Amino acid sequence: MATAVDNIAARYQEALLDPSLPLVQAWKERHPGARAVGVFPVYSPVEIVHAAGMLPVGLLGAGNQLEIAYADARFQSFICSIIKSTTEMALTGRLKVFDGLVFQGICDAARNLASVMARNLPGMRVEYLHLSQNQASPAAEDYLVGEYRRFQSAMEELSGRRVTEDGLRQSIAAYNRVRALVRVLNGLRARSPELVSALECYLLARLGATLPPEGSAPVLESALVAAQGRQARPKDRVRVVVQGSFCEVPPVELISALEEAGCYILDDDLLLGWRCYEADLPTEGDPLRSLARAYLNSVRFSSVRHGLDQPRATDLVAQAKQLRADAVIYLAAKFCEPALLDYALFRQALEQAGIPHLFLEFEEKMWLVDKPRNTIETFVESLLFD
Amino acid sequence: MQYQGRIHQLQRELMGRYYAEVTRVATSDGPRAAYLLVSGNPVELLRAMDMLPVYPEINDLQLAVRKESLPYILEAEEFGYSTDNCAYVKADVGIFLRGGKTSYAQIPRPSLLVCNFVGCNVYLHWFEQLAEYFKAPVFNLDVPFVRDLDGKPEPGDVAYLVKQLEQLIEIAEKITGRRFDYQRLKRAVALARDAEDLWSEIKHLNKSSPAPFDGYFDAGTLMAPMYCLRGTEEGLHFFQEAYREVSERVEQRVGVLSQERFRYVIEGPPPWPYYRTFRDLFSRWGAVAVASTYSTVGGTWEWGFRHDPQRPLESIAEHMMLHNVSNRSLLLRYEQIRRYLEEWHAEALVIHSIKSCRLFSAGQGDMLDYFSRGLGVPTLLVESDLEDPRYFAEAQMRNRIDAFFETLEHRRLAKRAPALKGGAEPGEGAKV
Amino acid sequence: MDSQTSKPRPSGRVQLARYACGVDVGSTQTKAIIMDRERRIVGRTLIDTGAHVTRAAERAFQHALEQASLERSAIGFVVGTGYGRYKVTFGDTQVTEISCHGRGAHFIFPGTRTVIDMGGQDAKGIRVNPSGEVQDFVMNDKCAAGTGRFLKNAAEVLNLSLDEIGDVSLRGRSPVRLSTVCTVFVESDIMSYLAQNRSVEDILAGIHSAVAARTIALVRRVGIEEEVTFTGGVARNTGMVRSLEQKLEMVLNVSPESHYVGAIGAALFALDHVS
Repeated sequence: MATAVDNIAARYQEALLDPSLPLVQAWKERHPGARAVGVFPVYSPVEIVHAAGMLPVGLLGAGNQLEIAYADARFQSFICSIIKSTTEMALTGRLKVFDGLVFQGICDAARNLASVMARNLPGMRVEYLHLSQNQASPAAEDYLVGEYRRFQSAMEELSGRRVTEDGLRQSIAAYNRVRALVRVLNGLRARSPELVSALECYLLARLGATLPPEGSAPVLESALVAAQGRQARPKDRVRVVVQGSFCEVPPVELISALEEAGCYILDDDLLLGWRCYEADLPTEGDPLRSLARAYLNSVRFSSVRHGLDQPRATDLVAQAKQLRADAVIYLAAKFCEPALLDYALFRQALEQAGIPHLFLEFEEKMWLVDKPRNTIETFVESLLFD
Repeated sequence: MQYQGRIHQLQRELMGRYYAEVTRVATSDGPRAAYLLVSGNPVELLRAMDMLPVYPEINDLQLAVRKESLPYILEAEEFGYSTDNCAYVKADVGIFLRGGKTSYAQIPRPSLLVCNFVGCNVYLHWFEQLAEYFKAPVFNLDVPFVRDLDGKPEPGDVAYLVKQLEQLIEIAEKITGRRFDYQRLKRAVALARDAEDLWSEIKHLNKSSPAPFDGYFDAGTLMAPMYCLRGTEEGLHFFQEAYREVSERVEQRVGVLSQERFRYVIEGPPPWPYYRTFRDLFSRWGAVAVASTYSTVGGTWEWGFRHDPQRPLESIAEHMMLHNVSNRSLLLRYEQIRRYLEEWHAEALVIHSIKSCRLFSAGQGDMLDYFSRGLGVPTLLVESDLEDPRYFAEAQMRNRIDAFFETLEHRRLAKRAPALKGGAEPGEGAKV
Repeated sequence: MDSQTSKPRPSGRVQLARYACGVDVGSTQTKAIIMDRERRIVGRTLIDTGAHVTRAAERAFQHALEQASLERSAIGFVVGTGYGRYKVTFGDTQVTEISCHGRGAHFIFPGTRTVIDMGGQDAKGIRVNPSGEVQDFVMNDKCAAGTGRFLKNAAEVLNLSLDEIGDVSLRGRSPVRLSTVCTVFVESDIMSYLAQNRSVEDILAGIHSAVAARTIALVRRVGIEEEVTFTGGVARNTGMVRSLEQKLEMVLNVSPESHYVGAIGAALFALDHVS
């Protein structure tokens, strides 16, 4: 039964990566009249969508499964893949399964995408959230509570159902459970990477970003049990932390290639938006305030949140050291301005800390991974035979 | 064919004095220089704090128009920046790496970094990184983006920003060791308001035909004093002169071009490294830009907004949030362009798509679709960059611009005199 | 613009001369077409442009004159087009290749509403009205994907000539999927597929499909309305014709004269000044 966890992840792999969103289609068929809302990656307050009785679903691009035929006419060649593939999904009717879309101010391209969606999808509710970028201001918390309240009204309007404080607290608890499971799974991987792979962790987390928490939590639980019961001996591999793919997701072939080339990925920032909180959110007190405080004070660092409390490069170095990583692989989406800007500082900090690193760029439509695999193998060799 | 008048010379003198002051501050002691960003800038506040505003974007464009930006960019790329990163950031990091040395000024180290986060997410990264490099204090002014489709603020937005401005004042007091002078702020805001009146009037004067100045290339010249010297007597005086000159031209029906043949609206920042070349590609066709979105990154004063000395902080907050193109959605920008086309009597739209600036460029293909196919406005999209000379391909650019105006001209000829038209006869068949 | 040069010369020559010439100076080839007043082509040439653009334009013009057995004085008006149009120093005016391709395509196929042109450096889409006048156009952005240059690179990696690859691609049974349409990186994709023992036919079929998809996305910016005429050097590539037709689900007009379309359009513009 050593392959139980493979089975669980693999069972959903095809459906999770299918840009026609069969899992969401199926959910809607099972829940006639129910609504689904697509949320663009990173820091979306999905609990509010859930509390309004709707299904929040991560918009995670189309991977290498969709040929871009229309979106290139809307966005230029220097715009990242996820913007284009999401546009392609919209222009080819694949987002019709959603009743609303939510974007937050993580980068300039994502913000403009919200406008393009609003114009090209008549009848679709498109919400844009401005998340606070001044954590030093005492006024930030009140502002963010207000912004979440505004969003809550919008979601109530869309679903036709009022959100109660109790309901929202329950939704927070439901997502706490999913996030905790993902956290435990990732913790297991960091300690014993031979027991669960980065690809499995990614697919399971993605399941949590696609199914309602009631549906994903049991799957995650059994996968966790299966992984813990796995019999595997640690291999002689390079222990790495992967950073830079917090929004656009690299193709699964590339994630596998990293592992097959001889790396244990102890941690990464894939699907960061769905597992950004370091601890459970309080399920007592004002729930909107809990959400606001969590975003302001206890999310994991990323290139699209500007806390200014501590340089992100310091966080990355600390993380690599804490996990006793041999190296950092900086895996950035091509044309991702936030990730590429941060690299300049990360690079200096990693060099100063004596942590070797490799910089790699990817695109969603990357179908062949021979070239990056070669690069990674060379990097791994350079570390092993050092 | 270029604008003939005094304002460009006056601007050069004014900016020369400004950069002399920048250099003086760089070479003397004391906490004087505050960096800030152009979009929706709160320069009045800095003037009242007696701090000299230093705009990295304007420093960068000075490098670019002098064709000196590339070595700075390359130095930043060697340091770790990507070819796909904003070249304004890279040129500025290059200035840092070269110890503030440029051919036109010595750029001072910042005593305070005021990151006015007005739309552009790159701003946040940029000043965060400068804070690292300079080990200087940074304050993020978190300006809520306009989410409302009619361009109105959400409840609490303006109050949130005012609170941050008050916090910024406290920080500045600590840095400068002086109490903030609200009377001085009121004075700066009043001076700003008067300059804004004139700047707005000047823009509206371009509705006349022939257009007295180019709403992109000449407006670009007027922008620097609007940001660097708004809130000062000197700045106001410049706009009084500029207004006098432009209104005289309107009275005497002097156009920027000897023969105005096409009026167009232009979207996107200019290619500073090829400013003159780019301008010539239009003026040789007798084409004048009557209005531009770029000239509103600092403020959309032509729609009526003014700073208010009676409520200085509130009006600064409203300006930052609501009254500049950067903090408004792409759809609100479509509306702004549509008004320009209509009210400034333009027949075409040119989109200059800038690789560096995704705030402007992401989705401009959709803009093209909206204007060209949705509204039937002839629209041209060309690409280059505002700072990086490697992205300007003159032959390609010329080809596209020529084809665009050629098409407009043929269409016009076809409408006016079918017998003389340059296009083909209907049924002009193959006789190969 | 250059209003001095765009006027017909005021000499009596215009009355005497009965012919017009279009010279299309492209990045790789220079074409010249001479037409009489009945719009019949009486002379044509195609030569490599090479390094000396002005000389190439002159040579092409001379050859076309020789072919038509005409003296220089018989030509009433010369229009230069293409990238090197300003190097046609003996020309009377210049017209961009967008206008020329639109008009030339409409001349050969009068039902044309959309022109897809794929040349060495540029890919473009042109929408024309029933009279052949350009209504709207779009050209590729700075990225060379979807141009002849991309195909040339691919051909070189496979050690084939540009003329062969289209036919070879037609024999592909299951086209590969490219992970990039970047001219620089296509080489590594091709090498990877060769290492996987994928056939050259399948690789080329995949390359043609990717370029066609990219080009169609570009042309969608002006809207695709039937009839669609495919012009430019790449229009001679049968594999590209098929790929575009499959994706568009329509039949394209393709002329054996496709590489002359720009010069034909230029000659038609020149003829406007002769009659």
